Amino acid sequence: MMRSMGAFVSNNRRFLPLSATIALFFVAYIVGAGVYDGMRDPQIFLNLFRTSPFLLISAIGMTFVIITGGIDLSVSGVIALTTVASAALLRTGDWNPWVVMLLMLAMGMALGAIMGGFITYLKVQPFIATLAGMWVARGLCFFISDDAIPINNRVYRILGQTKILIPGLSDPVTKQGDFISILVVVMLLILFAAIYIAQYTRFGRTVYAIGGNEHSARLMGLPVNRTKMLVYILNGFCSALAGIALSIYVMSGHGLYARGFEMTVIAAVVMGGTLLTGGAGYVFGTLFGVLITGLIQTLIQFNGQLSSWWTNIVVGALTLIFIGVQSLLFVEKKRRTGGRKLAGEEAPPLPRATRTRQVLLYSGGAVILIVLALLAINGAQNAASGPSANTLTPLSVSCELKPFRQDQAASLVKDGAAIVYERNGGASCIDELYAIYPDGRIVGDDGANQIEKQVTEEEVNQLLAEISARGWYTDEMYSTSHVPCGQCFSYNLSVTYQGKEKTVEAVDGGTDAPANYWQVVSLINGVIPDFSPAP
Amino acid sequence: MAESDNDLVTMEGIAKSFPGVQALEDVDFILKRGEIHALVGENGAGKSTLIKVLTGVERQDAGTIQYEGKGVTIKSPQHAQELGISTVYQEVNLCPNLTVAENILIGREPRKYGGVDWKSMNAQARQILEGLDIHIDVTQTLGSYPVAIQQMAAIARALEISSARLLILDEPTSSLDAHETDKLFEVMRKLKSVGVAIIFITHFIDQIYEIADRITVLRNGKLVGTYETASLPRLELIAKMIGRNLAELDDMVKIKLESSKHIRQTLLKADGLGHSGSIEPFDLELRAGEVVGLAGLLGSGRTELAGLLFGVDKPDQGSITVNGKLVRHHSPLGSISRGVALCPEDRKAEGIVDELTVRENIILAMQANRGWFKYLSMQEQYDIANRYIKLLNIATPSADQPVKNLSGGNQQKVILARWLATNPQVLILDEPTRGIDVGTKAEIQKLVLDLAEEGKACVFISSELEEVLRTSHRIVVLRDREKVTEFSGEVDEHKIMQAMAGSGS
Amino acid sequence: MTPSKPSFKWRKVTESKLFFPFVALAFILLFDLIFVPGFFNFSTRDGHLFGSLIDILRNGTTVMLLGLGMTLVLATGGVDLSVGAVMAISASVAAILMNPVIIGVKLPPDLMKFINDPNFTYAPLWEVILVTLIVAIICGLWNGILVAYARIQPMVATLILMIAGRGIAQLITNGVRIQIFYDPYAFIGNGWLVLPFPLYIVAFVFAVAWLLTRKTSIGLFIESVGVNFRSSFFSGINEKRIKLIAYTFCGFCAGVAGLVASSNIRTSDANNIGMNYELDAILAVVIGGTLMSGGRFSLLASLIGALVIQATTTSMYAIGVPANAVLAIKGLVVIFVILLYSEQVRGFIRRITPQKEA
Repeated sequence: MMRSMGAFVSNNRRFLPLSATIALFFVAYIVGAGVYDGMRDPQIFLNLFRTSPFLLISAIGMTFVIITGGIDLSVSGVIALTTVASAALLRTGDWNPWVVMLLMLAMGMALGAIMGGFITYLKVQPFIATLAGMWVARGLCFFISDDAIPINNRVYRILGQTKILIPGLSDPVTKQGDFISILVVVMLLILFAAIYIAQYTRFGRTVYAIGGNEHSARLMGLPVNRTKMLVYILNGFCSALAGIALSIYVMSGHGLYARGFEMTVIAAVVMGGTLLTGGAGYVFGTLFGVLITGLIQTLIQFNGQLSSWWTNIVVGALTLIFIGVQSLLFVEKKRRTGGRKLAGEEAPPLPRATRTRQVLLYSGGAVILIVLALLAINGAQNAASGPSANTLTPLSVSCELKPFRQDQAASLVKDGAAIVYERNGGASCIDELYAIYPDGRIVGDDGANQIEKQVTEEEVNQLLAEISARGWYTDEMYSTSHVPCGQCFSYNLSVTYQGKEKTVEAVDGGTDAPANYWQVVSLINGVIPDFSPAP
Repeated sequence: MAESDNDLVTMEGIAKSFPGVQALEDVDFILKRGEIHALVGENGAGKSTLIKVLTGVERQDAGTIQYEGKGVTIKSPQHAQELGISTVYQEVNLCPNLTVAENILIGREPRKYGGVDWKSMNAQARQILEGLDIHIDVTQTLGSYPVAIQQMAAIARALEISSARLLILDEPTSSLDAHETDKLFEVMRKLKSVGVAIIFITHFIDQIYEIADRITVLRNGKLVGTYETASLPRLELIAKMIGRNLAELDDMVKIKLESSKHIRQTLLKADGLGHSGSIEPFDLELRAGEVVGLAGLLGSGRTELAGLLFGVDKPDQGSITVNGKLVRHHSPLGSISRGVALCPEDRKAEGIVDELTVRENIILAMQANRGWFKYLSMQEQYDIANRYIKLLNIATPSADQPVKNLSGGNQQKVILARWLATNPQVLILDEPTRGIDVGTKAEIQKLVLDLAEEGKACVFISSELEEVLRTSHRIVVLRDREKVTEFSGEVDEHKIMQAMAGSGS
Repeated sequence: MTPSKPSFKWRKVTESKLFFPFVALAFILLFDLIFVPGFFNFSTRDGHLFGSLIDILRNGTTVMLLGLGMTLVLATGGVDLSVGAVMAISASVAAILMNPVIIGVKLPPDLMKFINDPNFTYAPLWEVILVTLIVAIICGLWNGILVAYARIQPMVATLILMIAGRGIAQLITNGVRIQIFYDPYAFIGNGWLVLPFPLYIVAFVFAVAWLLTRKTSIGLFIESVGVNFRSSFFSGINEKRIKLIAYTFCGFCAGVAGLVASSNIRTSDANNIGMNYELDAILAVVIGGTLMSGGRFSLLASLIGALVIQATTTSMYAIGVPANAVLAIKGLVVIFVILLYSEQVRGFIRRITPQKEA
């Protein structure tokens, strides 16, 4: 019995990483659902799909590229360019939205073809060629527009907001219940098409062959160059499609979107069991890699205690584990071609390397288990609570930024306030407006509540002096602005001192604002009262 | 002419040269239908060039090729395939991550509804392999099978793709064990029975006598001759391969090996040293002032033995003592620090660092021995480099020339200089004169003897028996990865060759 | 058989490693000379030198520092994608050492009011710098062990720290963007000693790197390992330790870069510091002529490569290209340089220019 099981495992060794991913996903999900009541809602599972279209579509294209042994870093640039270009075209009102979408897909494919050409015919390393492509694509965004361009198109809105109710889990009469969106349907279609292409077409099999041994593939008469080109074109298509999905999701386009996204995509593909060295991996696995990424974020949201950057750490650790598994199982195989070693090839793995990898693998596995356990323990303490407000990720933009309350601010200044300070944004899209009066009175208004605090007149004077000392009234202090990240804040601050009044705006999370601005903000933050009770 | 009706391929007067070397000169080669024909020769004989000409990878400079009675110019590998000529190389040129069935049929897979028909493909592949009497699960990845099976798949593909009439097998048995080799031979006989002609390139003498109908011997780019296996005694074959005239040998010329006056203490002693798969356990003693020559055919394990002595490979069994102390950590650096040096066989892959200069290449091992912080000053480096440039007569404009710009012979000298610079007690030289002109060869042979006079222990490995004889005080013979015997003092060259050749002559 | 050093030849100049990068830099400066009035003007203010050229030097220091470390790593045939993340980690460590209130360290009330004082720091400056650099070195060691001992592909191994490192950096500071008030620290990135202070730091690190690689045999071994792994093995070089040193030094450089960058903006911003800098660093080294496959390297050429990138950026700003669009120009520069160095193009050039006997 053990022997036949062992035989079964070794016969199907190539499925091991994939199985590991799938197993991990289900185990983590079940554990999470056991600990957090809220996770048992089927909508949560469906939400995993709802928030993953652009990651999965990108990851599918990337899977093909990685299987050939290449890499494509340009994904995020193409996505951003797609969002900006579509938004710009739609803004003119003259373009049919469907034509715009087709045009974007064509553009993505063209960009893919250019990079593919560099890689295939000019023998430029994929890393460098696609990196350059990313820069060019992103840069082109800003030739179109510096700021975000909103999309107001009816078709896009319908595509984004339509809920497709799941039969059996919802009530068709009241149109309430569990749903997925159109993007999810598209995503699933792409997924199935990709699986078919990978397993049943000559193109797909050639992709695998190239990854296994490009030299051999050529000798075997396979159309290596053509296939490599197609792979990058395909990835360009997927990036553009993901960009369309993103523009539907956030209803706008901007050159700063999807920064760093390519690394998330690569991590998802690796976690799905695809070898970065090429030649092995399944599109189906990529699906699970993406789902796990989403699951990690969901678990962290439900936990509420851990900050969202734990996502990055966990993703990094998981990637390490998977790479460890891959190295152990697969790279070893390559050494087994006996006989003389070929020139320049690495010496056979010294046992120490294998042992080191095993150590890493097991300790990494232990780390993951510990993390999951911690999550579970922590979660048990907040079992009843739902997702915490301050842990949304930059990928999902789910609250609307409020504009500055200019009129209210102006009237406060007229009223005699020395400092009028407004801060809005952040993960829960707050909007807090404070007024500090020369006599020490501080009033705060967050749109729903009001709050008051009293400090001494000297403290206010000292504050004002310090603000002035930091160059508030000089040319070194000026307004700046950029699109804020998901957790970032925008500030609007007016200071009236010794008869001079000056208002300066800035957005944090960037490097454009003058350094002293943040010092001033810090000083003010130290004085004003808090709206939320301390944790 | 009924005789040549049976000829599948007739190559006449083939000549091919590359920059600096005449690879083939006036070579004739005839292959009959349905025969297994062995092509043999030591390194540099021209075997692979001949095959490249036949398979369209290279075009001959002179000479004609007739295929199936018609004159033909083979324009490209594709063209050769169309003609029905297929090659399977030693490195199985397939994709280890695809399944066996895919590897055999990709590019011509059966299709269904526009997509790959896996079921038919698997069935077809299974059928093809069964035709070769191989029964395996074709749905597993190729890489999960041992090399022997991978080779079968490669052969299957080669046959399938071009409905081959001529199959070339380049060193197919190098990675196979005895059982797998038998299996391969069964397959070959089966192919022969259906009329496929096979060119079998190998250096295993026993195998030639087991399977080949005829043998063609090449040496230094020239044809030595084509013979019926049944009528060529083993010893004669060896003689032809290494360029000795058997008739001369029949005169029982006795060679008297130099007995050095300076042979002193044992510097290195190997006891039952072995590494499974590469060399059987052997004993060997290296004494100061003595040159030990290693004689044996290609593939007999000479390089592996050298590698074990130097620490490139770690032994599974046995031990080495250097200067009486047991060696515990086997590594090149350890050996260097103990005064053991190896000038490796493959100078391109294991010897030169081509982008670095002559100076850097020469001091490299010496510097490695000194560690990171005792860096030789530039002046010292130039001094050392120039000294060896002079000593070994290295032809280079300066010590700053990148080694890749030097000719092969001079590159070899640079490597030699590197090892001499480490001031070793034991110097192992693996094919130090390969690809070098005659004059330089003599220089190096003399140098080795001089080093012995100085009190070093040298090991001299070469495929040229004549060289080994001339340069050694003692000869160790290897055959089929095993040390067979030693000779010293007065030796009968005939006996040495017998030892190299093995049973039956 | 001629003894050592050859006399000056034009060929030696063109074949020198510094040639191409110099040409690239000269090209860009020439462009500036023609198209940007006042580019080459110098002025002094408060005893400091000002001007566009000084800007290039000053803004390029971060990439120059990263480039020094990355040169060694690329020369061994590897790559380090985590330098940006290590910068972020270093910045975070430094910031909380100066201002640990963020992580909940309770200071006595009489110290609390100094928290925003430019002269206040919780830990002395030397300790801040030392601890930060040690942490950076540990990051480098981690990468080195993964690559050299566990034999994981460099791109893959450093990708892990790249992803997780950001998370770690954010964890250290609890995600808060910590303002740095301490003036002496700010001097690192903002100070002037006639020339911007970071330049002196670059010079210092360069000196360390130079000593490490050219005054010991480490440089030679790195090149040897990068060119031919196996031959180096046969010559007794311990390739594992060499790679370990390269990655560790790269981590160290990233740590220094993190200090400079965070001091520059007086903030430790775990989210954004160093974002995408690894790509600039690799590009700088490649422009400097070190092949991504490894082998010969030149620290000085990498510095020039970094300046080429910075000069491109600064020139674009000078002629009014919008900030974010400069990225596109950078992309085109990459393509141009890579093509120039690519084998195909080089082969083509070689074929159309007369060659001397090899």
